[in-house]
Amino acid sequence: MKRLVLIILSLLAVSFAKAQIAVDTLSTEALNQLLIEQVERLAEDSDDDADFEELLDNYIFFSENPVNINSDEVMQLVELRLLSVFQYEELQKYRRYYGDFMFVDELEMVEGFDEQTLAIIKPVICIEKDKSKDKLNLKNMGRYGKHQIVGRYEQILEKQQGYAPIDDSSLLAKPNSRYLGSPQKYQLKYTYNYRNKFRAGFVLEKDAGEMFFTDKVSDTIQKLLGKNYRKGFDFVGFHLYAKDIGIVKAAVLGDYQLSFGQGLTLWSGMSFGKAGAGSSVMKQGRGITPKGSASEYSFMRGAAVTLGGGPFSGTVFYSNRWIDANVSVADSLDEAELVSSLQETGYHRTIGELQDRHAIRQQVVGGHLAFAIAHFEVGYTAHHTWLSTPLQLKPSHYNQFYFQGQKLTNQGIDFKYVKGKFAVFGEASMSYNPDTTAFQTTPRPAFAGLLGITVKPAGYLNFTMLYRDYGKTYQNLLGNAFGEGSRNQGQRGIYLGVEAAPAPYWNILAYADHFQFTWLTSQVNAPSRGHDYYLRISHSFNRRTQAYLQFRSKTKMKNSTDAFVFSHYPIFYTKNAVRFNINYQIGHDFHFSNKAEYAHYRNDDGTNEHGYFLCQDIAYKPEDKPFSLTFRYAIFDAKDYNARIYAYENDVLYSFSVPALYGKGMRFYLLGKVKLFNSLTLYARIGRTIYSDRDEIGSGLTLIEGNHKTDLKVEMIWKM
Amino acid sequence: MKKILLLITIILSTSTLFAYDFIHPMGGRAAAMGGSSVASQGLWALQNNPAGTANLEKISLGLYYENRWMLPETAYKCGAFALPTKFGTLGVSFNQFGSSKYNENKFGLAYAKDFGRYLQIGLQLDYLLLKIGNEYGSFRAVTFELGIQSQVTDRLTLGTYIFNPVNFSFEQTLNHEKIPIVFRFGLAYKFTKDFVGQCEIEKNTDREGVSLRGGLEYEAVRNLYIRAGVQTNPGILSFGLGYAIRFVQINVAGQLHNQLGASLQVGMIFSIGK
Repeated sequence: MKRLVLIILSLLAVSFAKAQIAVDTLSTEALNQLLIEQVERLAEDSDDDADFEELLDNYIFFSENPVNINSDEVMQLVELRLLSVFQYEELQKYRRYYGDFMFVDELEMVEGFDEQTLAIIKPVICIEKDKSKDKLNLKNMGRYGKHQIVGRYEQILEKQQGYAPIDDSSLLAKPNSRYLGSPQKYQLKYTYNYRNKFRAGFVLEKDAGEMFFTDKVSDTIQKLLGKNYRKGFDFVGFHLYAKDIGIVKAAVLGDYQLSFGQGLTLWSGMSFGKAGAGSSVMKQGRGITPKGSASEYSFMRGAAVTLGGGPFSGTVFYSNRWIDANVSVADSLDEAELVSSLQETGYHRTIGELQDRHAIRQQVVGGHLAFAIAHFEVGYTAHHTWLSTPLQLKPSHYNQFYFQGQKLTNQGIDFKYVKGKFAVFGEASMSYNPDTTAFQTTPRPAFAGLLGITVKPAGYLNFTMLYRDYGKTYQNLLGNAFGEGSRNQGQRGIYLGVEAAPAPYWNILAYADHFQFTWLTSQVNAPSRGHDYYLRISHSFNRRTQAYLQFRSKTKMKNSTDAFVFSHYPIFYTKNAVRFNINYQIGHDFHFSNKAEYAHYRNDDGTNEHGYFLCQDIAYKPEDKPFSLTFRYAIFDAKDYNARIYAYENDVLYSFSVPALYGKGMRFYLLGKVKLFNSLTLYARIGRTIYSDRDEIGSGLTLIEGNHKTDLKVEMIWKM
Repeated sequence: MKKILLLITIILSTSTLFAYDFIHPMGGRAAAMGGSSVASQGLWALQNNPAGTANLEKISLGLYYENRWMLPETAYKCGAFALPTKFGTLGVSFNQFGSSKYNENKFGLAYAKDFGRYLQIGLQLDYLLLKIGNEYGSFRAVTFELGIQSQVTDRLTLGTYIFNPVNFSFEQTLNHEKIPIVFRFGLAYKFTKDFVGQCEIEKNTDREGVSLRGGLEYEAVRNLYIRAGVQTNPGILSFGLGYAIRFVQINVAGQLHNQLGASLQVGMIFSIGK
């Protein structure tokens, strides 16, 4: 009885709160904030222009196609790390006791669902009682299916060196000194979705600098490029995906991603890695997912199917894809071809890049078997990759254990046990490369493994520990497990993470990661070690005002740059960063935010580099009007690249930017969104960086003469 | 002639190290609280963050003098007048840094408006006048400053302030010298009815690094305020007292810098109205 009264009272309180403030805008804000933080940390970790688009596509997908909370689809929220496994367990327990959810707000009754969690997941869940719409037939598909077309144009408005006019003979003399195409980037994406059960789509893309239909090059260059001469959309992809039809759990044709276990054996595509919060270092394989984004590296192209019944499920897949590589003729006598490196950027702008385009064929075949009962899950994954041309890297000490040759086989076993307040998970993997190299004359299998534990001794405390040991000869072209850097090779480490809510409205997130590279790495001439510490304290002053203070310190080894030493031995470098961020909402329509960041980098000669960043964000999002505006004004002062600051910027939907700012200057952008009709939304964004310490920006092909750089994006989304 | 050339060379060679001082926390209260002022209200907000004058109730006139490092050559003189109207607060302000040999002057025309309890916005148009000796003449520029304040809870007020956001310069100078951008934001937190804490961060593009400032104010006896504060870059400790009688407020402050010694600040505000 007490419980019933409690439920009624809480429900009343909830509906009252809802009447007072715009819950909807708040909730998407919370989800956005979560993503912003994760993307920022990912950008800092990945060191280069990572493609977040693919990774974040899923989040946007679910905010537009919410999952039914009374179905097994909720697991997908765990896979996206919006819910922890413990929360998922509690949710299922609640449903077993009390039956299906009647209202979304009923979630507040579930143990472990705090205000923050609710704010994050509300935009991606729904309650669907009408099962009749679920039947997969043409009538329903026509009626309840959703179509969407996204068209996007973007461009750097200043003239970059790569687009400067040049005559043929100079271009032939230095073939990579110009982009052949125009500076515009175009993307067109179509998707169809029927209640997350059947999805289809295609994507077309032309990057800046790639040749479009209207671009012209001379006959000599055309002849030089031969079969690699290509105009129009540089990337074309499609997918057809269906799930839950009888024993077919999922099936896909076209472009897709695969993720199983902890990602050590098979995890194509990106993952949040260390960027995730404490408890979410435990990965949730998502199996087969269709790939709708235009990212051109690391995905599967072919077919895959998952069949399941009872506690068993099995997946088989085949992928056959041309990838970019630098091919050279190794021996003039027998004209054997060799690949000296794989190109991973997906850009085909210069003659050189075009010559490398789709140079070799990568085929992968494999499968996954899984057995799952109440709290326990175990899986076995195996795949075999072969390339049409053998890969032979330029010999160097650091890359001698990297993948070379033509064939690679990976196998692994993963498991997971989640019960009550305790979870343990792990994966062991093996790779076998039959080809011999100068360093490894007899082929031998190599091993890698990771083991993790998460405990939740109390509702407000969550503790995670993860140990990993990836052999120095372990090779995998399709893995993406937890680790420092992007390679799951030659690394050992221990990670400790804690999440705590010591007092109402206060949250602490902290981790420490100690790692060791057991072999040399690029620009590190000896086995090395390092550590990464992170602490974030956040506080909610009220529902409209949240602030956090964040510290990060990362130490890694790198070769000394001292010109007076004979051999470049590695020494420790540390980067520290402190950030303060506050978000507040004014009235219903205005969202303000301030951020201040300080970065510090210590050089080996004892000199220090400092970076500073301050910004003011203003977003005007009137609830009752079909438009919104977002504005940022920022100044930055970071003399050197090492003290650079990563600052997330709001962008047109489905696009993300986290520019690395260094130098001295200011940056602002204005983003506008207008809903022209119910079905048509238009976005436009213009951003400009103005430097006060330089008269030219960038170098080489991206060089701009002048002290400002302006980026423009226009996007149109049509929904039906 | 040689002497002039030499002087010009010196001025030019030092110009990159040179920092303008148009923007400096004004008022005895700010000075005593480590310079923190971006989230405070009152007449001196005209100089520190014009949004803070939006809720001013009385017609006010203020005078302020800062004897920086106890050197008349580096003193600040400042005056301000604010007129609350039905449509918002109008204000004029003036400040001068330096002496007759070299001085920097700023004249401001401000307007601040209250958009409910949650949002105050202030805008100030500035006319800058730089005078160097007699022979080198004077240089003029126009710019503006913007401020926002928001009382997000009963205790917490947030403020942001930007001076010269589009980075105007003194066009007549040889190097078209840039006027610095000054960007600060921070908060004021009312711990109890009579105890307030403030902190803020400021980036001045003419200076290396950022400046952090914090201060506390305690109303020890009715109308008598005790204040203290800290500032980094330059590192300064500050202390002060404030007393308010019917229509006059007097604020005094003292600041201590490890190398440069002490500075003294005195400010008075006269207000009339209900």
